[in-house]
Amino acid sequence: MSWKTWSLKKSVWVFHVNTGACNNCDIEIVNLLTPKFDVERFGMKLVGSPRHADALLVTGVVTRQAAPRLKEVYRQTPKPCVVFAIGACACDKGIFHAGYHVVGPVDKIVREEDPNAIIAYVPGCPPKPEAMISGVVKALSAL
Amino acid sequence: MNKKELDNKLSGIRDKLLGVEQTSEKRMYLPCEAENCYSVCKFLFEEVGCRFVIVTGIDAEDCFELLYHFSYDQLGCIVTVKTFIHDRDNPSIESIAQILPGAEWIEREIHDELGIEFKNHPNMRRLILADDWPEGVYPLRKDTKK
Repeated sequence: MSWKTWSLKKSVWVFHVNTGACNNCDIEIVNLLTPKFDVERFGMKLVGSPRHADALLVTGVVTRQAAPRLKEVYRQTPKPCVVFAIGACACDKGIFHAGYHVVGPVDKIVREEDPNAIIAYVPGCPPKPEAMISGVVKALSAL
Repeated sequence: MNKKELDNKLSGIRDKLLGVEQTSEKRMYLPCEAENCYSVCKFLFEEVGCRFVIVTGIDAEDCFELLYHFSYDQLGCIVTVKTFIHDRDNPSIESIAQILPGAEWIEREIHDELGIEFKNHPNMRRLILADDWPEGVYPLRKDTKK
């Protein structure tokens, strides 16, 4: 394990990107920070800039307007970083699959920018906070 | 204020309507042609005292339908002005945003999605489509392919 990966797995700071979600997944993400789940005990916290982040939490299907912005946010995140596709829409378009403004699920857009991106999927509509914690743990232990 | 007074007030624009449909105590439809829509909405707002709610745009294949929803709060009755635009190549209608600024954004949205021109709209810019969306493609028209 390189020292970069080793240091990535400690105290993951996350940046939250909404690429066109209905806000339900976003509420569940905020729920992670409440005293009941309190992910800050693992050193995880939401940061205000992708330049400070180790992981991106992407919610929602990627719309035509949001796709170049998601790529830009991914470009600005220091590598190595992990992209978490949170929710059914981010994983595979979900109920919006036939929408005229939809360009693709999160993994497709991020892979256009970086084919070797590390992407973890947490399905659900919205996923439970427990599922998100489990997804993060599984992704980090697979690194 | 009761139902009778609402009916009496509406008699002032009866000649501009194609009819009056009352489906229940709290729901009323006023079908009219596109050229009369502005004056009917103005009458409902200024003379009757209805509150503007929202506009619905529908592509009905042979024409475009615009449903202007008003609420008559004293009776809790929703009054809907149902307008038909038959010209599919150049659909246009008078904007009601001149008298009802609250209608400005929904008219811009309908212009984006269905391509209906609102005449004398104060600020007809793109509202909800992506910046790189091609001009002249209206996603919610029935004949638009994805």
